Amino acid sequence: MTINRTAAAVLALLLAAACTAPTPPRTQASTAGATACAHPQGPLGAETGTTIDVIEQAYFCILGNYYSGPTLDARSLLTAGFLALTQELNRDGRDVPDATMPALTGDRKADWAAFETAYRKTTDQVPDLRDKLAVVTLEAIVAALGDNHARWTHDVARPLDYYDGDGYGLGLQANVSSSQMDGSTPRVALAPLFVTTVLGGAARAAGLRPGDVIEAVNGSAPFVDGKVTPAIAALYPTYPEARPIELRLLRQTTGRRWTVTLKPGLYQRDLAALQVVRSKLLDDDIAYVRMTGFAPDSANRVFKAISRLRASRTPVGVVLDLRGNGGGSPVEAARLVSAFVHGKVTAYQCTVDNRCATARTDDTVELLNLPLVVLIDHGCASACEHFSSAVQDLHLGQLVGTRTAGVISGPAQSYLLANNTVLSFPARHHLGPDREVIDRIGVPPDHYVPLTPENAAAGRDPALAEGLTLLHK
Amino acid sequence: MRQILAVALGLVVLAASACSAPAPPRSDAPRATPTGPATLPAPTGGHPVGTTALYLKDTSRPDPWDPDVQARELKVTLWYPTEQRDGQRSPYMTPKESELFLKGSGIASTPYDTLSKTRTNAVKDAAPSGRKLPLVVLSPGFTKPMSTLTSLAEDLASRGYVVAGIDHTYESYATTLSDGRVAECLACDSSSDPGFGAGLVQGRAADVSFVLDQLTSKWKHSDLIDRKRIAMVGQSIGGAGTVAAMVKDPRIRAGIDMDGTTYARIPQSGLSRPFMFLGSQEHVPGGGDNSWDRDWKLLTGWKRWLVLSDAEHQSFTDISLVADVLGLQPLPGMLPAARGAELTRTYVAAFLDQHLKSLRQPLLEGPSSRYPEVKFCPATCGHS
Repeated sequence: MTINRTAAAVLALLLAAACTAPTPPRTQASTAGATACAHPQGPLGAETGTTIDVIEQAYFCILGNYYSGPTLDARSLLTAGFLALTQELNRDGRDVPDATMPALTGDRKADWAAFETAYRKTTDQVPDLRDKLAVVTLEAIVAALGDNHARWTHDVARPLDYYDGDGYGLGLQANVSSSQMDGSTPRVALAPLFVTTVLGGAARAAGLRPGDVIEAVNGSAPFVDGKVTPAIAALYPTYPEARPIELRLLRQTTGRRWTVTLKPGLYQRDLAALQVVRSKLLDDDIAYVRMTGFAPDSANRVFKAISRLRASRTPVGVVLDLRGNGGGSPVEAARLVSAFVHGKVTAYQCTVDNRCATARTDDTVELLNLPLVVLIDHGCASACEHFSSAVQDLHLGQLVGTRTAGVISGPAQSYLLANNTVLSFPARHHLGPDREVIDRIGVPPDHYVPLTPENAAAGRDPALAEGLTLLHK
Repeated sequence: MRQILAVALGLVVLAASACSAPAPPRSDAPRATPTGPATLPAPTGGHPVGTTALYLKDTSRPDPWDPDVQARELKVTLWYPTEQRDGQRSPYMTPKESELFLKGSGIASTPYDTLSKTRTNAVKDAAPSGRKLPLVVLSPGFTKPMSTLTSLAEDLASRGYVVAGIDHTYESYATTLSDGRVAECLACDSSSDPGFGAGLVQGRAADVSFVLDQLTSKWKHSDLIDRKRIAMVGQSIGGAGTVAAMVKDPRIRAGIDMDGTTYARIPQSGLSRPFMFLGSQEHVPGGGDNSWDRDWKLLTGWKRWLVLSDAEHQSFTDISLVADVLGLQPLPGMLPAARGAELTRTYVAAFLDQHLKSLRQPLLEGPSSRYPEVKFCPATCGHS
């Protein structure tokens, strides 16, 4: 399940890797000790197996480039890696007497040498497990950073019959997300578990609808004593997981209770719904713009959409719907802020010794001069929170919905490892315009409006309704 | 968050194509002395070539890129055999189109009007000759004007084909419309969206069907065309558009995708009309792009999968032919531009001669000592 460790981070990283790698945003600086690893250039070559040499490269890459690289105790990374190795051995029903941690001194190079010796001694005795052990070791070293924008992308597999835009899974989205299940966002999950969106695939074929309450997943309760259980994770299988999932459902409007078995797979998605920026006029006088990611040029697309709506009507306000917006480019976030205020700092990005770069508004962007409501939820992550916190701190509009993801440690940079896998993590950590930590805490809404299963079933959007009311006041 | 992940997965795929599209095809390093205007290679067939432009308007659907326009306007450039040897050669593109294309592509090593000086071989507005000729629709790559396939178009016309090249409005950096307005790349705004390619090729299929309707009935020279012998050839996303158009429109009897990652869903029952993949090394079986492997299984008729070693994405277009003039350094190890053009012309013509003119082509049966660069996949081309 590491692939969905942090969807938001994924988005940010992929964008960085694919489009902006050669020119990092001005607020980011990659400085010390970049010798161990370089930014990827062009398409990646074919991935090869992970070896101890790759782990070594990653270790020094982290120490040379990661946010707290200059100060962190590297022994904690090696210990986490070795623990994962021993757990994997045990998981396979084995153990190795030599699999003990060597003495570490705090000297990063000497400690690596000691670790490598112990690692080789252990893995040499279980040659059939060598590849798997290398993978879990490196995964654990990266996880030990405890950073939601640190990620090692490897073993990327896609179904052969995948088409551009396809989804994989059961074809549904519930009010509790996979990021809440895997811990990447600390947002609290509230009972009951219910379907919020039917995206396609098995869920659509089985006739599921928004608002359907999921009373059991594979026979297990999703909540016990109001606390979320691991059962919910089964709602979000990733390729190649294909085991059928049984759901017990309740449709509250009719009182019907029934059980369906959904098989994960590829499913076709509505192409229009995949557009990152969509817009329409609401109530004849509100410019509504939904933006699902801060992709390159997204801010300009929002501006274009609003000016197009303005050409036919005179809107009295703007609703920016950023629910489920997984983030992307911090440059785009700052540009979007710039349509509502000039001459301000939108965020700080700080090194571990507190040297901060400032992200500022781009004052060449024309001001919209329209009242603003921003819809947020636990899926608003990373650059989305950069934007939302700026709106709140700079008093640019009102936030409606629920608290954001709190997945904004800092803008991630990508580094290529020798086996053509990509390691990414931030060199700086993000702070809001008031120099407050946004990561994990998230941005609270000015108006708390959660979605209920009753509203979902009736197709009502209470957060949007609240936003329209606020703009019409 | 699953939604986000799906989005992200989509993005990684697209980002590769979308973000690389605007990049100049070759190294940006300026050469010391850019040479004079480029001259496209002479057509190799027996007929002189004429060319003309048609401006068509499809009022049955809104423009897919400009939501304020309630019709789809298209510029179609036709190349065809003519008796007329002399006369004004058709301009390659206008100075404005050249400027927008070079600016959009990030090429600043040469004056912006450079491409408008490119010398072509076709006589502007010459009278067509012949009747019931096979028709080939051409569709260019994303952000590329149709003129980037002129060398191939002129050659096919000289061999007795009518060629209809479509500028898919707003999918190129520059398309001059009937009223002189120059449409720019509105589609570029959303090119990093997941599902972008899938949506775009649906639009191209609709463009092609509309153009076929017009050319085979409404055009004043429609008797020039044998409506039973129609094929389509596209480069990059134009090749993907070829698959999409063939799935949707049975009038297209055969098709070629030149180095384009594909997006259209071929029905599980398969596509039984002749099809050829013609790619660079990026498109070997089991390579980074799964789309040809995926579609290959669904091609149930005559099919070929050819890969040109040492070719790159632009070896199939005029871009490599004009690279010198643009001051772009060739990528190391790539085959010379003229050879790329020769291979493209030869194999495309062989395919069309076999399937539209029923002339069997030994060249398509297997490797040839005259063209050792051409590998026949999946049998005799390894994943390297």
